[in-house]
Amino acid sequence: MLYLQILINGLLLGGLYSCIAVGFSLVWGVLNIINILHGSLIILGAYAAFFAYTELGIHPFAFVPLAGLLLFTIGYLLQAGLINRVMGAPVLITLTLTFGLNLMLENAMILAFKADYRTVILNPPLGMLDLGPVVLVKDRLYAMVLALVLVLLLYVLLRATRIGRAIVAVRMDRDAAALMGVNVPRIYAVTFGLGACLAGAAGSLISVIFPISPLSSIGFLGKAFVICILGGLGSVPGVMVGGLVLGVLESFGTLWLGPDYSTTIAFVLLLALLLFRPTGLMGKRGFE
Amino acid sequence: MHPTRRTGLKQFLSVVLLAALPASAALAQNPILIGAPLPLTGPLSPEGTKLQRGYDLWAEEVNKAGGVQVGKNKMPVKIVYYDYQSNTSRAVQLAEKLVTDDKVHFMFSPFGSGATKAASAVSERYGVPTLAPTASSVEVFDQGYKNLFGTMTPNDTLTEPMSDLVRATAPDVKRIAILARNDLYPLALGNEFEKSAKKRGFQVVYFEKYAIGTLDHASAITQIRATKPDWIIVTGYINDMILVRKQMADQGVKVPIMTMITGPSYREFIDASGPLATNVTTASWWHPAVRYTGNDVFKSSENFTRVFRAKYKEDPDYTNASGAVVGVVLQQAIESVATLDRDKVRAALASGKFQTFFAPIAFSPQGYATSYQPPIFQVQGGKPVVLFPKAIKQAEFAFGVN
Repeated sequence: MLYLQILINGLLLGGLYSCIAVGFSLVWGVLNIINILHGSLIILGAYAAFFAYTELGIHPFAFVPLAGLLLFTIGYLLQAGLINRVMGAPVLITLTLTFGLNLMLENAMILAFKADYRTVILNPPLGMLDLGPVVLVKDRLYAMVLALVLVLLLYVLLRATRIGRAIVAVRMDRDAAALMGVNVPRIYAVTFGLGACLAGAAGSLISVIFPISPLSSIGFLGKAFVICILGGLGSVPGVMVGGLVLGVLESFGTLWLGPDYSTTIAFVLLLALLLFRPTGLMGKRGFE
Repeated sequence: MHPTRRTGLKQFLSVVLLAALPASAALAQNPILIGAPLPLTGPLSPEGTKLQRGYDLWAEEVNKAGGVQVGKNKMPVKIVYYDYQSNTSRAVQLAEKLVTDDKVHFMFSPFGSGATKAASAVSERYGVPTLAPTASSVEVFDQGYKNLFGTMTPNDTLTEPMSDLVRATAPDVKRIAILARNDLYPLALGNEFEKSAKKRGFQVVYFEKYAIGTLDHASAITQIRATKPDWIIVTGYINDMILVRKQMADQGVKVPIMTMITGPSYREFIDASGPLATNVTTASWWHPAVRYTGNDVFKSSENFTRVFRAKYKEDPDYTNASGAVVGVVLQQAIESVATLDRDKVRAALASGKFQTFFAPIAFSPQGYATSYQPPIFQVQGGKPVVLFPKAIKQAEFAFGVN
């Protein structure tokens, strides 16, 4: 029964991990930008949710669309106004730019919110679902379900809408897409906006689960990195699998090797994958 | 002769001449410089900022009173800060820069046992007397260094009375689970807890370490839950405590006694944990409830609290007070020998007994304080109340952390 509980813990965590990583994967896959800002955008979403709950009483789960919209706007403007200017440059340039922007955002958040850790304390708490041998923590369960819904929405958006097809087309062949009449800079901005939107939504979800501080962004960025490589760049199902695999691995790692080594397992697996299957578990070219 | 070389020679001569001037005359106008590398950004920034407030308050009060009495002169103090971004190796580099570049007279250590130990090698190399406000692990002081003086008492002064208190008030408690952050101080504290518990016949049913930066403790908590402990002990820093407490509640862990060090004595823990903070026990080296009088610039614990509140509009916690007390002790040592001579100040620190608002401070031959008993607290009614020592006890031990 302990194993079943550990597996459930892992899956609940993994669902959230998928949501944390999917925006990062999208931006990396389509724009070829390693978006160092991603972690801080998640935290910004989490702060927005925190203040929405404490000041306006809006439940963080209900705030998810608003956080997404807010962050979409920020992301869109950042890409359209700033990052688009260096899109033709080597990947190191965009990496450096997002790194610098991240420093600015992180320090601005320290100034605005202080570095203290805060959590959303739901009143009344959601409690847990006691199924006898195993317990399901409700806030994690709901957050995981919502996270997976968001990931699915992105999947549908990319496959079934005009803008989604345009994003995929730009990823596959930028020049051909431009010739077909796709406004490439605009698609870049929309994609980056979508990445930020998912970061904001994920932030809103995690605000209920993890304490947040402007400085915790690096932890989330690290997870996003690992998941993208585990699952393979360029696929939504890959991110989903990567997130779930990481969650379950960390859970069982804690059980078998002690909490001290749970994160080590993930990185050992990461190295193994890079050696033997560098495209990740489900990676392929193009973002589908 | 080449003109630039001539200027160089002039500069050289003037430096030699300046150095030859009587030291006291030059010093009378200059402040006493104290180097303070702090983690003002990065994961330890809450703690770094607290410490800085303590240093600043002391410096401000001393300078308001005209400065430190060095023989016949009053000398103002100036603290030279650098932000080491919660990065220990950067703390060591900056400590070196403070000594060699900024030419500070004395130093305050960086935050926490790990960084203090790392930077203490620099103070030792240059012979700079250094006060450590937040290093309580004896492992920091085991290198035979002569220049490091820690104002906190060792970790076992937290774990021993805590274990005694539990033994005396809750005889049914038998099974103990310990979850310790794998970091110098929290791990050392976890080990001390294990020793103290075993000595008293408690059964340690779970003892694991978690990695620095762990976000999810759910599986460790599932295991702890399965071992059915009566007393759960968690060590780490404030963000870890908030996280673990929340995730324990998520899994419906209920336990008669839960001890978390450090964190619950900070307002931030109580704010972030809300009702979950209730009945969590902790221990720390100082609290506004302690009642000591000193012959320092703050005069008493109560007055320190008052002055701190006036400046920062909130109650001081032990890290704030730790920042102020290192200043107070250094000042008393300098004033007792009436010079800034490092050898004399070092000797005064090593042999002195300092009456302060924080506690009476005297250092063991290894360099850590052994002269007072840190209080034990419990969060009751949304604030920490003192359970021990008896002289300042504010409430009875309450059981049941749900």
